[in-house]
Amino acid sequence: MTRLFSIATLCLVLAPAAAVAHHSFAAQYDANRPVTLQGTITKVEWMNPHTYFYIDVADDTGKVVNWAVEGGAPNVLYREGWKPTSLKAGDRVTIMGSRAKDGSNLINATSFKLPDGRCIFAGTSGPGGTGTPNCTVGRR
Amino acid sequence: MRHPSVFCGLGPWALGLVLAAGSIAAAAPQWQGYKTPGIPRLPDGAPNLAAPVPKTADGKPDLSGIWMAARAVFDLSQALKKGETIPLSAEGRKIFSERRATESKDDPSARCLPTGLPVRALLRTPFKILQTPTVTAILYESRTTFRQILTDGRPLPEVDWPAWNGFSIGRWEGDTFVAQTAGFNGKPWLDQAGYPASDALRITERFRRRDFGHMDMEMVIDDSKMYTKPWSIFGEFVLQADTELLEFICEENEKDSALLVGK
Repeated sequence: MTRLFSIATLCLVLAPAAAVAHHSFAAQYDANRPVTLQGTITKVEWMNPHTYFYIDVADDTGKVVNWAVEGGAPNVLYREGWKPTSLKAGDRVTIMGSRAKDGSNLINATSFKLPDGRCIFAGTSGPGGTGTPNCTVGRR
Repeated sequence: MRHPSVFCGLGPWALGLVLAAGSIAAAAPQWQGYKTPGIPRLPDGAPNLAAPVPKTADGKPDLSGIWMAARAVFDLSQALKKGETIPLSAEGRKIFSERRATESKDDPSARCLPTGLPVRALLRTPFKILQTPTVTAILYESRTTFRQILTDGRPLPEVDWPAWNGFSIGRWEGDTFVAQTAGFNGKPWLDQAGYPASDALRITERFRRRDFGHMDMEMVIDDSKMYTKPWSIFGEFVLQADTELLEFICEENEKDSALLVGK
């Protein structure tokens, strides 16, 4: 995973960010339900108005469940240093975010933690959307 | 962690410097990092945002360039001009209260319909101003939308087909560019919080470029149906050097609207 982000790219991600949302965060997500997902990316949708990442996560019983992860607008992430191929199917990541209010397996991501420990901002406009990545582990 | 090193402290322009130093700027993807011609530079190559305001051939300040709000605002109560409040009328308060009670789940912009002009200016997505003697165009990266502010002397039109963006004319008051817009259809929300607008909305924007890299905007919101008197917001824009507008096709992956449950 170290190939994913160069030092320059990582610095861009760590710089003050432009959080943008095309919808109300609070209408869809519950900031009081922090979620941490650890698993393998299965699909990436690098499209406006939001990126979507799909990730296979094993639950406590070992059953694998596919979760959807909403990220920031690709335009925002691109200027933060992300590329359309920065995360690909097969990559293992840990994703911090807030769970959807409807209880579905969907979260709004605040940060991604890479296997080498680096923490990158996911472009959320919700809590934590200040551009500062925060990989404090929540709960599922 | 906001500025983990001096290098990182250069912010978004660091990539441009890296690319330029590597003499591969011509291959900059989507021109991100390609050095915008015509921008005054400091000895280290960084844009000199404190340089003087550029002027057009007729001596007016030239507002042309790519700009972005200095800070993101989704709720206009956070962008009020000093001393201002938002004077909701009874009807305006009823609508606003309903929208707050449902966490703005019915915002048309969440369905990729246009944002209101006030929040669009303050979203912190870039927009490009193209100034000519007879029209000043604003190309918004957000939703890949545009406005044209006509400066050929015509008055505001009689409107029998109101529009999401209304119809705009502009004039100069000294070094301030004044844009007046009317003919709105009342559909867009002024912001994501849900401050409403009706077909009575009239917006007056005053743009003043302070120096090469900074521009102030004051926006007067006048809507006699939704507010008891006109009120004003303020925004500061910063020139975005060494970047270009990116495409933003909102409909391509819009899947949230069906999931907006409110409270």
